[in-house]
Amino acid sequence: MITKYTSDIFDVLRRGQFICSNSPDEHIQTLYKVLEDSDTFEDLYEYFNQINYILEQGNEYFYFSRNERNVDLDRKLEKAFGWIDMIDFFKTFDSSFDVGYRFSPSDVINQLKNNADLKSKLDNFKKLSDDKKNYSDRVKKIIEKLEKDNFITLENEITESYKVLTSFNYLKDLISIINIPEEIENEIPE
Amino acid sequence: MDTFNDIKELVFALNRESKLISEMFSKRKSIDYKFSDALELVDYDENRIDFLIQKSVIRENGDTLELDDLFLEFFEQVLDVNEEINLSYIDENIKNIKENIDYFLNESNENRKYGYLRFIKKTFKKIGLITLRSVVDLRRNIDNTFKNESNYKNKQLKLENLDEKRTVIKNLIIQTLKIINEDEVTFFNRALDEELNRIIIDIKHQLGECSHNLIEIEKQIIDYLNQIKIHGKFLEKLRKLKYLKDHFLIEAETDVKQIISNNNSVIFEPRTSEPLNLSIDFLREDEKVFDVIEKIAKNHNARKVFKAELADSISDEFLENSIEEEIMINYEEIKNSFLATSDNLFNFILSYDFSKTVEFNERVTIFCQVISLYEQDLDIKNNFQTSNGIEYAIVTAR
Repeated sequence: MITKYTSDIFDVLRRGQFICSNSPDEHIQTLYKVLEDSDTFEDLYEYFNQINYILEQGNEYFYFSRNERNVDLDRKLEKAFGWIDMIDFFKTFDSSFDVGYRFSPSDVINQLKNNADLKSKLDNFKKLSDDKKNYSDRVKKIIEKLEKDNFITLENEITESYKVLTSFNYLKDLISIINIPEEIENEIPE
Repeated sequence: MDTFNDIKELVFALNRESKLISEMFSKRKSIDYKFSDALELVDYDENRIDFLIQKSVIRENGDTLELDDLFLEFFEQVLDVNEEINLSYIDENIKNIKENIDYFLNESNENRKYGYLRFIKKTFKKIGLITLRSVVDLRRNIDNTFKNESNYKNKQLKLENLDEKRTVIKNLIIQTLKIINEDEVTFFNRALDEELNRIIIDIKHQLGECSHNLIEIEKQIIDYLNQIKIHGKFLEKLRKLKYLKDHFLIEAETDVKQIISNNNSVIFEPRTSEPLNLSIDFLREDEKVFDVIEKIAKNHNARKVFKAELADSISDEFLENSIEEEIMINYEEIKNSFLATSDNLFNFILSYDFSKTVEFNERVTIFCQVISLYEQDLDIKNNFQTSNGIEYAIVTAR
């Protein structure tokens, strides 16, 4: 028991979620403030380390990782590739899609009408296009997926407004560290 | 060109059409102002618009109207909303000052000297104001461009251009200060004017403020440009990765496998629920728990349990073997026994021992059946006999 929030922090992070500085959830914000204190962070780091969880700090977010591999590589790759598809989709939707960006599913659906590129990308989502759903259902499905992974969150239920959380930086960092060798890079058409 | 005769007339004309002019000014960026829209604002009096066109306050451009550049610029400058930063003014003013300083130094007539001095003072004042205003405009433009320009390439280009303007302003400030501090020392020594000194102090103060602002602006621009650059790089990287992924090259050509395999974030782990058993002590000791249990138990009772209706077990009686005997008439045997005798069939059957009582009528039926079954073994004669009131044919073995 290091702070009275220790178990709350553990509960959130253990589920693979992030604690983000710009979360609209006040509880998460409180947790972020607790972790922001570097002394508390170090204490909690040690504390969780004993039960094999590594408390990690990213750009405006916290998350858990582990020492040993618990998941096979294929599953992880599949997940990462899914993210690449999704970021690509949303960046096509709006290139300024980034931390703090706000949007609603209807914004995306409207864009589909005049952005053929976006539409074809939506069609290419393999698992979604299997069942013959309409576009709005599919878009909602993608948004739900991203929300489940805790990169965006529903900010306003009435207007269906979503907000991109700071955990989006995790995805950006992940993509930045993937290295494409120069000779391959030159072969990719513009 | 027809112009206004004096300020009074100009102000009066502008005042009369203030509705139209203010509307046109506020919409100057957004829409082409239609002649028909304008007509509404001048109470449908075309002459009033014609008058403004005549005096070059507005210009007619096909079907649309626009404010004359001269007036537009004037309004923008006075209202401090100009988006273009025009630096040629400052440059022009510096030149003017230099020229007038020369005139001043060459002139011996006190009156004319005073005229030049007055112009120089006025121009210095102007430089201070314009520079300050340009800096403010620059800052606002940079912010606007960064936040509102949607096209990334244009955003970058615009910011770069604004950055150039910043350099120009910086150079102009340096030039102005150079005139004051180095180039025209003789003039300042000779002029000996109290007001000029005050103006120079003011302008130095203003220019100093501008310089500080420019440093801040420079920082801001560099930051914005970097953000755009990083963002552009990220998009480029993303596009390439997506390309490789879609062509199934990503695993072979990049180090994604290694990076992902080293990444042991919990987010990759499937979410498992952890079923924990309740603590018995807790169940036993906590009072609230009892309430909860009662509640749940109630719910549990409320649910109807549908028992499957079972049939009774089959009684043993039904399972016991019971034998029922029935004597059947074996036609084959009757026929065979008959073939061994020389009797006629009717008599034979009538006296045949069936090991049960068989009525006469039945025996007659059996007689008919045997005949029909074994016709080929029997010889049906043409003579008849009567017995018990029944006439029958004589049948013997063949």
